[in-house]
Amino acid sequence: MTSLAAQLGRIVGDAHVIARATQLLVYRSDALPGLQRAPARAVFPGTRDELIEVVRVLAAAGAPFVSRGAGTGLSGGALADDITLLGLHRLKRILALDPIARTATVEPGVVNAALTRAGAPHRLHYAPDPSSQTACTIGGNIAENAGGPHCLKYGVTLDHAIRATVVLPSGEVVILDRGDVARDDGTQGGYDLLGAFVGSEGCFGVVVDVTVRLTPDPERVCTLLADFTRVRDAADATSRIIAAGIMPAALELMDQPTIEAVESSVYAAGYPRDAAAVLLIEVDGAAAGLDDDVWAVERLCRAAGARTVRVAHDAAERARLWLGRKKAFGAMGRVAPHLVVQDAVVPRSMLAELLDDIAAIGDRHRVRICNVFHAGDGNLHPNIPYNAHNADESARVHAAMTEIMTRCIAAGGTITGEHGVGLDKLPYMEQLFTADTLDAMCSLRAVFDPERRANPGKVVPVRACREWHGVASTRHGARAGETR
Amino acid sequence: MNTLAPLQRARAGLDSCVHCGFCLPACPTYLALEDENDSPRGRLLLMGALLDGSVNPDDPAVRRHLDQCLGCRGCETACPSGVPYGQLLEATRESLVTHRPLPLVARLVLRLFATEWALRSVLAIARLIRWSGIAALLARLLPARLAMPFAMLASSARPAPASYDARGDGARGTVSLLTGCVMEGLFTDVNRATERTLTVNGWKMRVTADQRCCGALHAHAGDAVMARALARANIAAFERSGAEVVVLNSAGCGAMCREYGHLLADDSAWADRATAFGAKVRDVHQLLASAGPAVRAGADERHPRLGTPVATRVAYDAPCHLQHAQRIVDAPLAVLQAVSGINLVPLADSDQCCGSAGIFNLLLPDVAERVLAPKLSRIVESGAEIVATGNPGCLMQIGGGLCLSGSAVTTRHPVELLDETYARAERPR
Repeated sequence: MTSLAAQLGRIVGDAHVIARATQLLVYRSDALPGLQRAPARAVFPGTRDELIEVVRVLAAAGAPFVSRGAGTGLSGGALADDITLLGLHRLKRILALDPIARTATVEPGVVNAALTRAGAPHRLHYAPDPSSQTACTIGGNIAENAGGPHCLKYGVTLDHAIRATVVLPSGEVVILDRGDVARDDGTQGGYDLLGAFVGSEGCFGVVVDVTVRLTPDPERVCTLLADFTRVRDAADATSRIIAAGIMPAALELMDQPTIEAVESSVYAAGYPRDAAAVLLIEVDGAAAGLDDDVWAVERLCRAAGARTVRVAHDAAERARLWLGRKKAFGAMGRVAPHLVVQDAVVPRSMLAELLDDIAAIGDRHRVRICNVFHAGDGNLHPNIPYNAHNADESARVHAAMTEIMTRCIAAGGTITGEHGVGLDKLPYMEQLFTADTLDAMCSLRAVFDPERRANPGKVVPVRACREWHGVASTRHGARAGETR
Repeated sequence: MNTLAPLQRARAGLDSCVHCGFCLPACPTYLALEDENDSPRGRLLLMGALLDGSVNPDDPAVRRHLDQCLGCRGCETACPSGVPYGQLLEATRESLVTHRPLPLVARLVLRLFATEWALRSVLAIARLIRWSGIAALLARLLPARLAMPFAMLASSARPAPASYDARGDGARGTVSLLTGCVMEGLFTDVNRATERTLTVNGWKMRVTADQRCCGALHAHAGDAVMARALARANIAAFERSGAEVVVLNSAGCGAMCREYGHLLADDSAWADRATAFGAKVRDVHQLLASAGPAVRAGADERHPRLGTPVATRVAYDAPCHLQHAQRIVDAPLAVLQAVSGINLVPLADSDQCCGSAGIFNLLLPDVAERVLAPKLSRIVESGAEIVATGNPGCLMQIGGGLCLSGSAVTTRHPVELLDETYARAERPR
């Protein structure tokens, strides 16, 4: 019996299969290096046919696997614990771009920003813009139903996905759509199966290609930077803007520690270092009437206590303001070598109160919390930079994080807005959902992946699934059938 | 003795990496080889693993991934955390050479560049091979892999040098050119063009005797001992000549000279002198662009009467060690904009490495070729007739690649084009 690695090598070429431990080190984690799992092997198909063949070989061997794009995820979702890691980054072709229909069909490894670049000559862009957009892949975006600052107005990944070709873990290739447009065979309707697939965190199958919507560039864009001497006031301004009926394209909040990290980096954007918080607000749309919105936003910020409100005067300044925001997470490395990142969503009206509570939790545990988040939709990202080599500090950081998440859940919030559950937030699932709900999730998954071989052990804690009781762990259960 | 001592000293830089992965799309070897072990994030992780003992310095796979780094430092301008990748790479290579010596070819080349008479002889022979047409002939006849060095050499041939009487008031100060080995040996005309254009723009040129190779090739390969020796010689030479500004037209050498302070940081007798030297270093484009109005006024005043200049499409390709290491982005464009009669066309991915990277293309021609391939495609797509870039390695790597692909596009240093403008302005109609 040949080893699984050798079988995979015959499909993709030996150069694209990794089985040596030293070369698998970098594939042990995503962008949350605090979580690490060593894959048994990694395979990188370079074509659609290779991908399908790889999944079929894995199916024949009964081998579990984990899909991975660029490894920029923030929930440990793409970690393979002693099983096969299926890297999709080589599948990076834009297969079609139709400027008339305003759609593009892409392979899963296409980088998010590359798609926007490809649309630029047609004055089109791909709207979902996670902060990692220069590196993250569309396949990963589909798996996580990724968001981003501009999703406040334009919607998240699901709102831009039209149709996907998916290879199910069984090796069967299917086309999933939302039931809202006529198919090639003239049929239309049925369940929104694509809706079920987007955000399934790699547990339902692997994207072979996906057709997404491209969005026309707005006629005019206006970016404002408002700075505040109290974080609370910035949160208050957020509520006032939304309550006034204005729909900004984006509404982002950064607090002082975050500003400090960004301003020390190559992405320094000119945020005032002495501000307690800044709001980055973008309004866009038809040129007519936009000035009224800009004026209203400025007035509302000042009413909430903004010290200064500045409007970017050209595209270069706007780009600089945004780059600072988008690279803020990476810039945290300037504060301390390690970082925990959270992704809680809370009712927007409670932002001010929760930010106070989060600050109090941080003080109590003596940890430094950096807040940088999508204020407009109440999607908090409390980040805690720390040194993982310090056991005491690590314990305090994790205690603080758990307390923050519990507080957000108690406020009627949820544990992820866009990063996914992955491995990191698995412990909160039973806090958030009833056994019946978790069981229903397991049943849905069984439709796509009855053998539970795609990204096992993620999203829904195994013990929560009644029908799976008796299986000690997916990893253990699956190994019996795996060819090694 | 801890053979990883240089890397150990640089360790703090490793701790800044938060693994965000923003460096991946900025890394030419990741894009070409499609394995994260050949990305900045992967290599930083391997460096960390070397330090904590979880990988062995003799592990051939580990060495290969670290060897395969071009050292282009494109990741540094993408990194929000400011990981000093170039310094970490050099510290790693310095650590690893104590475990296993460099390949013979590398040692020979590095020794050659550190031995003045030998280098001069080899460059003279190279000029002979180029002048005789043998280089161009072999580039055509040999199979691609063997032909590349000859194509590179052939592409370094310059058109007839511009000649005019360069005059200036010298009011901007005294500068001295670090002539460079390959620049003076194979791109002699570019050095002369550099001196003329600076003179026209108000600098007084002063010659510095006893210059040596800058040591960049040695530092990048891990031969820090030789790099330091060469650095000391250059610092002393330029101190003697008393130049206020040390100017370079080679991006790679310029980046090295700026970092002499870091290179000699642990040498108490030289550290301060090295830092002072680094602070005097300027790239020629910086000086010309800072003359701003003089360059433009010169071009504007002289040209309108010259008749219709040939509209040449020129694309600028940024040398990595100018764009990423020295963070000089706009100055070369300002110089090109001062050149009359050219049509500057955009070049996609102009911030990506061409695969030259010092002696990288000699040691790992296969990887260099895979990195070069997309660069050549983008050049063809741009419709440019000339690619302008300010580094000898890039001029020859791109020039050689274009030559082998049968393209008529040529490579020029931006300063050469400006020089020609000035020459045309002098020429009577």
